[in-house]
Amino acid sequence: MKPLLLILALTQLPAATPFDTKLSKDQQILHSLNRLTFGPRPNDAEEVRRLGLEKWIDLQLHPERIPENPLLATRLQPLETLPLDIASILKDYPLVSAALATRYTPLTELLSPEQVRQVYSGTAEERRKTLDSLDAEKRQKVLAILAPPTLANTPDIQKEAEAARKSQQEERQKEFRRAMPPLSELLNADQMETATRGNKEQLADLFAFLDPSKRQQLASALPPKALATFPEMRRLGLRLKQPQQVVLGDLREAKVFRALYSSHQLEEVLVDFWFNHFNVSEAKPNDRLLLTSYERDAIRPHVLGHFKDLLLATARHPAMLYYLDNFQSISPNAFDIGPFAPTVDAMARQLSRQAHGINENYGRELMELHTLGVKGGYTQQDVVDVARAFTGWTIRLPATKPEFVFAGFMHDYNEKTVLGHKIPAGGGEQDGLQVIDILSHSPATARFISLKLAQRFVADEPPPALVDRMALTFTKTDGDLRAILATLFASPEFLSEGAFQAKMKSPLELVVSAVRALQGEVADTFTLVQKIADLGEPLYAKLEPTGYSNAAEAWLSTGSLLSRMNFATALASGQIPGVKLDSAALDAKDAAAVTKALLGGSASQQTQDAISGGLQSKPRTSRQLASLLLGSPDFQKK
Amino acid sequence: MMITRRSAIILAGSGLAPSWLARAATAGDKPSKPKILVAIFQRGAADGLNIVAPFTEKRYAELRPTIAIAAPGGQFSGIDLDGRFALHPQLQPLKALWDTKQLAIIHAAGSPDPSRSHFDAQDFMESGTPGQSSSDGWLNRALSPAAPQTSPIRAIALGSALPRTLRGTRAAIAVNDAQQFQMGDQDSAGILERMYARTPSADLGRAGSDAFAAIKTIRTINQQTYTPAGGAQYFQGGELGRGLQQIARLIKADAGVEAAFAEMGGWDHHGNEAGQMATQLGLFSRAIAAFAQDMGDRMEDIVLVTMSEFGRTAQENGDGGTDHGHGSVMMVLGGPVQGGKVYGKWPGLERDQLFEGRDLAVTTDYREVLSELVTRHMGQKNLAEVFPGYKPGAGLGLIREPLRS
Repeated sequence: MKPLLLILALTQLPAATPFDTKLSKDQQILHSLNRLTFGPRPNDAEEVRRLGLEKWIDLQLHPERIPENPLLATRLQPLETLPLDIASILKDYPLVSAALATRYTPLTELLSPEQVRQVYSGTAEERRKTLDSLDAEKRQKVLAILAPPTLANTPDIQKEAEAARKSQQEERQKEFRRAMPPLSELLNADQMETATRGNKEQLADLFAFLDPSKRQQLASALPPKALATFPEMRRLGLRLKQPQQVVLGDLREAKVFRALYSSHQLEEVLVDFWFNHFNVSEAKPNDRLLLTSYERDAIRPHVLGHFKDLLLATARHPAMLYYLDNFQSISPNAFDIGPFAPTVDAMARQLSRQAHGINENYGRELMELHTLGVKGGYTQQDVVDVARAFTGWTIRLPATKPEFVFAGFMHDYNEKTVLGHKIPAGGGEQDGLQVIDILSHSPATARFISLKLAQRFVADEPPPALVDRMALTFTKTDGDLRAILATLFASPEFLSEGAFQAKMKSPLELVVSAVRALQGEVADTFTLVQKIADLGEPLYAKLEPTGYSNAAEAWLSTGSLLSRMNFATALASGQIPGVKLDSAALDAKDAAAVTKALLGGSASQQTQDAISGGLQSKPRTSRQLASLLLGSPDFQKK
Repeated sequence: MMITRRSAIILAGSGLAPSWLARAATAGDKPSKPKILVAIFQRGAADGLNIVAPFTEKRYAELRPTIAIAAPGGQFSGIDLDGRFALHPQLQPLKALWDTKQLAIIHAAGSPDPSRSHFDAQDFMESGTPGQSSSDGWLNRALSPAAPQTSPIRAIALGSALPRTLRGTRAAIAVNDAQQFQMGDQDSAGILERMYARTPSADLGRAGSDAFAAIKTIRTINQQTYTPAGGAQYFQGGELGRGLQQIARLIKADAGVEAAFAEMGGWDHHGNEAGQMATQLGLFSRAIAAFAQDMGDRMEDIVLVTMSEFGRTAQENGDGGTDHGHGSVMMVLGGPVQGGKVYGKWPGLERDQLFEGRDLAVTTDYREVLSELVTRHMGQKNLAEVFPGYKPGAGLGLIREPLRS
């Protein structure tokens, strides 16, 4: 090559970026631990070094080859709702517990059909006669049910009914008070003092002293936060007062336990990532009791499998069918047929008015958020046709045993066109499957999914060349998520300066990584769950289908920063119920050892200077040092 | 008796006083108070057609057989504004502000960008640049450059994250709860403050210095007592009420608030819209009414503006809900507002009048509304910086001529 050409070729090379600079061996290990786990524990780096980084990453990609930490099973064991199927959860964890539910006797159980007609639509005389034939108790019950307008032509009965309704209401309030008495009725003055101001031992004594039914009543009369140190009592109370919250609590507490203790750290990171990608939320009441199954049955089995299987599992899960409304999306022509045709009678007209068209919600978010990305090249017409393709993908037995079903009568059987692909008329359930197929094989999907993974594991703005290579793996392996991650972890960009400490920790990551760094022994995660919510990430509660942001700016604000620093202080000084620190071991360490244990290396110069300057004149304890390090800018990044 | 603008307006509105009295009353009130703009974002695409219903349009009821707001006159029907538009019945608490001409409505307003993605459209709207998102927000750019006397809490958002609307080069803080906005451990505070002041991470450094400056100001405010005035019932306004109460407290402490942001989610009603809308609007209107009540005469220096990323389909869908659409409605409230009027050109609901044959069209660019508030209320002259590339029209006349001499 002539010298001139060589110079030209060199000048055309892109300028070197931090993504071209390789990390040192120690940094590579620290960095990989920061990204593939919920934060390194003090001995993890040594373990990875012993095993070899490549081998360790490969094992994390094959969690079935790593024995699970037995402590995790012990911690999850009391969370009784985790293994239950949806039907059992719906049955045993209603909105209101059986003990508190008011049972309404329907009119049809109190009266014969003829009597119902007489009191409802009979003449004033007929109503009077029927009511007079009842005994006093039954008469009261019947009157309490009758709607005031029905009784307009018998003002005296209307008045009597009003009184009956009122006394029934008072009776119910009394019953409710008996089942769940306020603290003041449950306890004497001394006991009250203990319940509201006592220490842990005194409170334990009080619970032990009460008989079992009163124990549950006390547990439910106290706010859950007052029982932060009593997991069993908290559960007992919630089962009486708000059974659904037991299910949600189990799910949240399990998530934090798994992040803290699982040996399959990457798998847990991925379950968090994919749940968030295919977000559903407890803020939709219909979804609250389905989240356990959604994560366990639709997300978890596929996080290292094929994208298409993951996509299909979410598409068919009742949680998603509810969340993005597809369960009620129906062909506009569905009620033109047979008994539902709008001309037959008022009832059918009412039905057809209630359900007369498609719902675009799932169709749109499926393309924008789950597969193609907002710039993935779809049109409003594609949204409509995808929605039409999924009409009839709905839920059978929604109240007792919700599960996916294809309801042919709801389906729009006409032809559709999706991203230029014709879906012929007459397809049925197949139409939706075909859309899943088209979307999971689109190059836009390969790119969008690769981009999101690179944003999670590399940097908020990952190098495009890396995303391209991951997308190529996606296409070549038919969306094998394990292979795509292998491409990412083996890339020079992943182990580069550009990626090192480039990501801001989410609240979940911050809280869990701090406890892991301090090697806290966690018996109960209730308070940690609250702290994560206070920092801005209430678990399983992101209402919007976008899920939580993957980027720093969403987590960075004055308010959240302050809460992060305050959490660091509370944790290091042992004020988080459920978390036990080995303070003797911490105090035995010198400053350099504490720093190495918490940050995996040394602190930045600025952080070191601020600490040594500030602590000069005061006695320095390892706890105070730990609280400063966990609150430092260094620890907010990963 | 000192006649305040508020009482004067009530007199004027009741027909007991000549209309000039309302104007004259403004001239004497403390003239040097900073002007405050409060932006409220309704996240999830609020359905403008059921917030302010065009009840005289024949197509309105036809397109929405189960969810249309009933024409005024009956039980549970709309509240007549001008014989043409009606407020949703749950907006009753705002009616008094309409009657005293402190509430203006801009219908068929929104972003000219056609995106129906919540995420993109919110980003664009908050950035102030339809069709693209920028790293900073319009309300941050609307603030004047910092001067020695500007307060560290001049721009505040309620919540744990700073919304894009307020991100940018001017100091802006996010506060979840002002009562809790303090360092638990005073000994560590100074050390952490120094760490964040010197960190090489620019974004953390910014957030840190803003936080520590704000802590000091808020600590003094927390020492003052505060009781909502006029029996304002914020708790009836849910989360938004809680947020506005925090803002109110900081404003009443004269802490130098110039811009505030609060938000309310849950407007994405793809199904069962009627029930959800009633609940949402009940909270929404009670929160705003409580704020106006609490602010009293201070409303003279305050303008509130509401917006949502886009509206919803004109026709209801199969589930008593509506899907993602285009134009929606904005509200502007406050002492300086020329209210009691529905502004904007009404585009109609016939098929050929709808945007892409399905959604309420946008006839007023939301930047037209905000431009007027930014220039005439906040006094920001450099509109090109706030809304780059946007050429505002003649203005709607939402803000009264200032009458101070």
